[in-house]
Amino acid sequence: MDRRRFFAAGCGTFLAAQVGCRGTQTGEVMTADRKDTVGSHAAGAETYKPLIDEALGKLLARQGAAVHPVGHPGVPPAAKRICFVGVENKSSEDLADIKAQLFEVIDTRVNTSGAFHQVSRRYVEIGLRDLRLRPDEMLKPENLRKFQAVMESQGAPFDYLLFATVTSGTTRDNDRTQKDYLLTLELVDVHTGTPDKESASLRKLYKKSHGLR
Amino acid sequence: MVRFVLLVPLAAGCATHADRLAEVRSAYHAGNAPEARARLDAALARNDRDADVLKLDKATALLTEGRPKEAEALFREVRDKFEEKEGRDLREAALAAVTDDQRLAYPGEDHEKVLLRFYLALCSLMQDGSDATAYALQVNQKQQQIIDTARKGAEGAGPKDGYKLVAAGAYLYAALREATHADYDDAARSFEQVAKWQPDFAPAKADLERVKTGRHSQPGHGAVYVFAMVGRGPYKEERAEVVTQAALLVADRILSAVGKHTLPPTLAPVKVPVVARPVNQVASVGVYPGGKSQTRYTETLTDVGLMASEQAKAVLPEVLARAVVRRVVKKGVVYGAKEAAGADKNGLASIALDVAGVAWEATEAADTRCWGLLPDKIQVLRLELPAGEHRLTLQPAGANGSPLGAPEEVLVTVADGRNTYVLATYPGAKPVGKAVVSRP
Repeated sequence: MDRRRFFAAGCGTFLAAQVGCRGTQTGEVMTADRKDTVGSHAAGAETYKPLIDEALGKLLARQGAAVHPVGHPGVPPAAKRICFVGVENKSSEDLADIKAQLFEVIDTRVNTSGAFHQVSRRYVEIGLRDLRLRPDEMLKPENLRKFQAVMESQGAPFDYLLFATVTSGTTRDNDRTQKDYLLTLELVDVHTGTPDKESASLRKLYKKSHGLR
Repeated sequence: MVRFVLLVPLAAGCATHADRLAEVRSAYHAGNAPEARARLDAALARNDRDADVLKLDKATALLTEGRPKEAEALFREVRDKFEEKEGRDLREAALAAVTDDQRLAYPGEDHEKVLLRFYLALCSLMQDGSDATAYALQVNQKQQQIIDTARKGAEGAGPKDGYKLVAAGAYLYAALREATHADYDDAARSFEQVAKWQPDFAPAKADLERVKTGRHSQPGHGAVYVFAMVGRGPYKEERAEVVTQAALLVADRILSAVGKHTLPPTLAPVKVPVVARPVNQVASVGVYPGGKSQTRYTETLTDVGLMASEQAKAVLPEVLARAVVRRVVKKGVVYGAKEAAGADKNGLASIALDVAGVAWEATEAADTRCWGLLPDKIQVLRLELPAGEHRLTLQPAGANGSPLGAPEEVLVTVADGRNTYVLATYPGAKPVGKAVVSRP
């Protein structure tokens, strides 16, 4: 190879190394039949949507069938009033913006179920703030009484407290990691103190490839 | 050949960003944000390649002047531009190979991309705070993305795995989540990150304890977060990389001795950008809500200067590699021109081409584009105060806590169970503008 060709080849190699990395970012609306993108490093919509569907579906079905508040003849029974305290993340992953969405999805599903009426989140936050009450201490009888009183004074009484908890269990095998995600919904009757619990789980496998060495 | 010799000086590099930035920094650090902004506007009208970093500086000045809405719009614009410019482009790479790195689109230094989102969160908090949580989350997401992207294709640990992470975003997120009174778990996670990423941030322990077992504030009280942008921050300046220059000189002398033609000697310095950190007087800001005996001091949440210099060191090999390739390309072009012209090895034409080659190499300038109005440190102090109006006094302090400059009074409104945010900028003993205060 003469010098000119060698030089041209060198320059070509250098420039080729710079090619094609700057892309453009685009977006598209995903139709309902398209599968959710599967998170490569953490759980996302592909994990939490089915968890909510399963856990909430089972809980609402059971509760809807179990309790029929007494109503006057000809008057439909009053919807059960649920105060959704929030989603507690006890997993090893940050929920980041998913947490707020989890809350909203559960909130909406409960409200549209027909059998239940959800107390607005805004009232719940005001109640927690006014009493400086931590959600994890809500079930202490004294705290619960105070909270009920505040909510009633706001015109937002409730019959049940709903807690959601996300947990994860991790199993590692060299470059493979299995994570078991569990969403637990706990509904507590504030009049009787009776809890009802439902959960759903989903397993995910994460694999790390190292490419050529 | 004559045309080539004449054209080479036209490819000359211009004044660097560092030259343009000096006056802006000088005005801003003297406490004159409007003057700094006027200079930035003038520079923006003249210079397109530096537009993004000039806009970052302008947005910083606007925020300091108490105009968070305009600042947020500019920060967002630059954030999106930086995103577009990430990755490489063949045309730019080719141009930079025959000129210098200033021809490459500037996607922001890694610490700038991350801090930009923190500033966006502050801008939002100084308005209605509606986007503050999203911006605070983006701080962590961006820094994780930077580390993950660098890891691709790397053997073993990625080149950016050792980056010091920005704790300021996690801190702000924790503060925001704690103020909901319902998301103490999120706040605890974020404060744990703060404690891990900024181990010398002493309040993290108490913050963590509070969100794990305590309350946001006692009834009838609220929290005030005083964010202080302290010290004159890092900037880039040009430095001659002497060792690389000497190595290239030896290499081209050897090739000249054995080759058919000589190569232009590496007389022009190989210029690279280095992060300069000014010496700062201000170590913290004293805040006293009541009498001076109650003075408490802001503490460092993110050491911007240290982070910028460490990150610059991590990417220096890449910058040097580009500089060496550029020299090889230029010498190759001169060599090719000699071959095409059939120049004798020691003839006049060969010497003229070598002179042109040296002049061409001398036109290179380091890429010193940077966000020049960042502080040296981002500090914070959390105070719990009774609901109502309070006059806080802020006064910068030296390393031993001795007061520097005159005290400044700030009126803050504290709401029961809510957060109020104060942003003060102290590049030196004198503040820039008035402290900006949010409405709870």
